Amino acid sequence: MAEQLHRGPLISAGLLIGAGLGGFVDGIVLHQILQWHNMLSAKMPPDNLVAAKVNMYWDGMFHAAVWVMTAIGLTVLWRVGHRRDVPWSGRTFFGALLLGWGLFNVIEGIIDHNLLGLHHVYEYTDNKLPWDLAFLALGVLQLVAGWAFVRAGRSDTAVRGEYSRGNTQ
Amino acid sequence: MKALAIGFLTALFLLIGPTAMACRVCRPRVQAAIHTPEYSANLLTLLLPVGALLLLAAGVFYAPLIKARFLSSTSHG
Repeated sequence: MAEQLHRGPLISAGLLIGAGLGGFVDGIVLHQILQWHNMLSAKMPPDNLVAAKVNMYWDGMFHAAVWVMTAIGLTVLWRVGHRRDVPWSGRTFFGALLLGWGLFNVIEGIIDHNLLGLHHVYEYTDNKLPWDLAFLALGVLQLVAGWAFVRAGRSDTAVRGEYSRGNTQ
Repeated sequence: MKALAIGFLTALFLLIGPTAMACRVCRPRVQAAIHTPEYSANLLTLLLPVGALLLLAAGVFYAPLIKARFLSSTSHG
């Protein structure tokens, strides 16, 4: 009797790595390079050295948390690679990465931007809502694209060992 | 290799030591502004999205087990 295939573990690894990398994009691009916001910039605007350094500390805690999430995702991916019941599908994994990034943007956007008001996407304007909504819309687009890739990956059934042998023949 | 390890550890020691403080004057004020009574609340709110994502990923990973347990408990109940 053929073993039942499980796609959940590969999707789970992709979700964690995608969300972690999405967190790094947020932190590196929006916090550090563009400097549109910091972790607590709505509560404590970085308009003096002390406030800027306090925000830097909380940015660091955020980066540490998404680093842990990425590391857990890599561990899950490594273990999934040894399982004979998990199809090794690039489309499933890429879709899960996009889903993870989109979920990060939507969850972080709703919690931090809209509900708690810790910071907003672009702090240096009077009307912050359009920027926050655009961030959420990007997250929704990523979710739709990710879901489409995961659906397309349903037809992939080769597990990792079979995939490697297929490539070497 | 040994020299490299010693060099790395020395650099690390210098970084975490008091000489690595970027601003000796403002450092106490920064520390005081970080470690306020709101520290735990700030940390929890900051970690909330990450915790939600970890729970979601765990749910996807263990979905077959959760489903099986749920189905067996409803069929027995």
